[in-house]
Amino acid sequence: MDIAIQIALNALIAGAIYSLVVLGFNLLYSTSRFFDLGYGAIAIAGGYAVLYFYKLLGLELWSSIILGIFIAGILGFCIEKIIYRPLRTRKASSAVLLIASLGVLTVIQAVLAILFTSQFQTLGRGAGESRTFEIFGGAITQTQSIILITALVVMTALGLVLKYTLFGKAVKAIADDEEVASIVGINSERMIGIVFFIGSAIGGMAGIATGFDTGLQPTIGLSLLLKGVIAAIVGGIGNVYGGVLGAFLLAIIENLGAWQFSGEWKDAIAFIVLVVFLLFRPQGILPK
Amino acid sequence: MERVNRGSALMWVIVALVVVVGGFSILGGKGGAPSTETGPIKIGVIGPLTGDAAIYGEPFRNTVQLAIDEINATGGIGGRQVEAIYEDGQCNGKEGANAAQKLVNVDKVQAIIGGVCSGETLTVVPIAEKGRVVVVSPSASSPALTGISPYFFRPYPSDASQGNVLANIAYTDKGWKKVAVIQEQVDYAVGLYKVFNQVFSGLGGKTVKEEFSSNVTDFRSVLTKLKAEKPDALFVLTQTAASTQRILKQMEELNWKPQIILDEASAGDKETLTTYKSQLEGALTSEFIPDLSNAKLQKLMSDYKAKYGTELPYLGYMAPAYDIVYILKDGIASVGYNGEKLATWSRTIKDWQGASGSVTISSDGDRVGGYSSEVVHDGKTEPYKK
Amino acid sequence: MEYLIHIAVLVCLYGILGLSLNLVVGETGLISVAHAGFYGIGAYVTALLLVGLGMNFFLAMALGIIASGLVALLISGVISRLRGVYFLFGTIGLNIIAWSIFLNWQSVTRGPLGIPSIPRPGIWGLDLYQNLQFLFLAAASLAIVYFISVFIKKSSFGRVLNSIREDEEATQIFGYATSYYKLAIFTIGAMLAALAGALFATYITYIDPSSFTINESIFIFSTIVLGGLGSSRGAVLGPLLLVFLFEGFRFAGFPSEIAAQMRMLAYGFALVLLMLYRPKGIWGTFRI
Repeated sequence: MDIAIQIALNALIAGAIYSLVVLGFNLLYSTSRFFDLGYGAIAIAGGYAVLYFYKLLGLELWSSIILGIFIAGILGFCIEKIIYRPLRTRKASSAVLLIASLGVLTVIQAVLAILFTSQFQTLGRGAGESRTFEIFGGAITQTQSIILITALVVMTALGLVLKYTLFGKAVKAIADDEEVASIVGINSERMIGIVFFIGSAIGGMAGIATGFDTGLQPTIGLSLLLKGVIAAIVGGIGNVYGGVLGAFLLAIIENLGAWQFSGEWKDAIAFIVLVVFLLFRPQGILPK
Repeated sequence: MERVNRGSALMWVIVALVVVVGGFSILGGKGGAPSTETGPIKIGVIGPLTGDAAIYGEPFRNTVQLAIDEINATGGIGGRQVEAIYEDGQCNGKEGANAAQKLVNVDKVQAIIGGVCSGETLTVVPIAEKGRVVVVSPSASSPALTGISPYFFRPYPSDASQGNVLANIAYTDKGWKKVAVIQEQVDYAVGLYKVFNQVFSGLGGKTVKEEFSSNVTDFRSVLTKLKAEKPDALFVLTQTAASTQRILKQMEELNWKPQIILDEASAGDKETLTTYKSQLEGALTSEFIPDLSNAKLQKLMSDYKAKYGTELPYLGYMAPAYDIVYILKDGIASVGYNGEKLATWSRTIKDWQGASGSVTISSDGDRVGGYSSEVVHDGKTEPYKK
Repeated sequence: MEYLIHIAVLVCLYGILGLSLNLVVGETGLISVAHAGFYGIGAYVTALLLVGLGMNFFLAMALGIIASGLVALLISGVISRLRGVYFLFGTIGLNIIAWSIFLNWQSVTRGPLGIPSIPRPGIWGLDLYQNLQFLFLAAASLAIVYFISVFIKKSSFGRVLNSIREDEEATQIFGYATSYYKLAIFTIGAMLAALAGALFATYITYIDPSSFTINESIFIFSTIVLGGLGSSRGAVLGPLLLVFLFEGFRFAGFPSEIAAQMRMLAYGFALVLLMLYRPKGIWGTFRI
């Protein structure tokens, strides 16, 4: 019974990080409607920002984290303003935006590699520094628990904001139909800018969490993003709670798969799940 | 359907092409002329300078440059300064081929140091051979490279002997009957596992293997599964110390502290050994750097730290890289800077003393002999004694 | 000189890939990034037959093409009911699953060890050992694929494809069984990609899964977006430009410690700029 508990805990931990990724992704995708490859890189950049402040400059932990989240948000905001907005104004197709975002991903990865080298780095300060909790025979560390709680808090906050605030309603309106939203008087340009800031900031949290949990390298942004995509589709694109549900489901399936089959098929399993959902339930488990 | 203005589009294309091709030949002209008898000696270097494998490519580049700077400071080779031309192979066959094409046909080098990965190297060798350029790799370990060409040699042994040594000790000396293996899906690890498994099973042992692809960072469920098998030891077979560190950390979180067998990629990384000291206590490993008291190696490590500010990682690959530069120096001093002559000369290398120990190259280009077994004790490797 | 010949061969290969993808994306409007998967199938089947059975190259290539076509038929039957972005995500999943199979089905593909020592093609006793000779084969193949592409485009079959691109439902109302058309063109695209794969395998004489990742698919996609979707000329010019650009940056004279990173940075930057200034691509006639 021990193993099953541990597998379940493993899934919780992985799911928490995927949740953060998908929360940001869903937000960005529902308003801008294109597949933004740069998002993955911005998330990792957030993690590296914390590396810079916390480890290289020696600032205090929580200040570094807040700075890191903020920087990820600003980075996303600027990129949206400088690159994606002009393209959308010119009615560029989503394929073009995709390629532009590929350019963004490539540039950010290269910059991170130049500034921080390609070597693998963790944000934590050595092994065994974190307290471990024993739960029914399985183990989870303090850091992992914090990540889990953070993911749930962000999900709740975002859900509430989107449902009950004016801002949230405006975002939903834009997600439904941008043109109509602007006719009704919503300044969609400004809104999208803010959305990109928030979405990228959440992505930054995912990057920071990854930095603490499994470590950072400049090139891991793309696979992080792809996991977020799967979670979004499985759970329901555009639905905040759906995304998180999808994230945990994905984590459970991956870990179950690793347990029952061979570890090496982990990627294939995740993407088979994606294809299955696309075929049979493309709107996801919790539709908008 | 809208039609783009064909005239302006065409102009645009032509301008772009001219700029790129023009820049290409103007700037490329710098390296275009073959080395004259008095000009600098230009050696090509191919490695994964970007991408996931850049974790090797960067220290590799640094180590080669360190050696070259040292040589130049003492007058170069025969009075000529040495210059390296670095190209990115991205650990990928196609990019390796592009890099080789440029170095062989545009820069007209006579020797190429690299690739770091077997994937890059396997496409570089045919191109170099056509151009009669000698290729030396510090770390490509694929068995497919043994005897592939008279223009290729490597002061790096094939995986066969490492697997053999480890399997024998594990079964015979340690009495381990069941070994779990967590193995990265790269040619180095796959090859090493095959040999280990063959020998270990032949002796009567049993292995349980889980593989993972290189982009995986979450090993928890795989480790949980292996833990449940209750093996006598766990063989951590990765390409990078990064994956090993993640595995060790996650093992600790899962409260699993088995006996460990390490491959040399991790055993050569001091940071891994010190950070995970308690888990690695008593771990069995095998490197072909016989001992860290090799004077040349020690000097290399301290010089590297002084110049670049970090510890030299992956000693198993970097020590040979450093040696290669000096081997080429001796070769060039002996037969001149000529690919064909260097290739023939390479087969005469015997008992050449370097930071990686004593180097002898056999007729198929592989390094002879090699692995000695070691044990990790108190965060450091020491020779294994029965 | 040799180097330019080598680049020319690559341009031919990517030209074939571009043309084959353009048939699917540009002419029919199916946004696919699965192409590297079919490229890989062609390469692996050809390589295995050449190395394992010593088969004649053209026969091996034909078998590779057929294999790829069969896989495409199977798959497209499955995903052709997906639309737009969902189709895109489906193809992402497919590419990654294919790559996973290349990597994990080690008894056949040798996984990461790859398949070395693939012989060059032999035509009437002449072994295409010299790159210049191979270039003729590559250029001839490109020409053939170009004519096939133009032929399809100008035929009535091609016109139906275009109308599916513009408005699939309207086309259905007119009585066309659009799923069959989509299936057909997806399969044709896959088969042509496999042709490129066969050529690639024999040219470079060593293949491993790293050449057939999702990144490669995205690169092929970029080449035709840049060249302009819906244009056969664009599908060849785009690859020409991007291959030259990417190789060209080797000569840019960046300081050597960061040269490789700078090259990626410059490349990413160039992509963004190109998209900003030419969102329709150079010869584009179509936006998705």
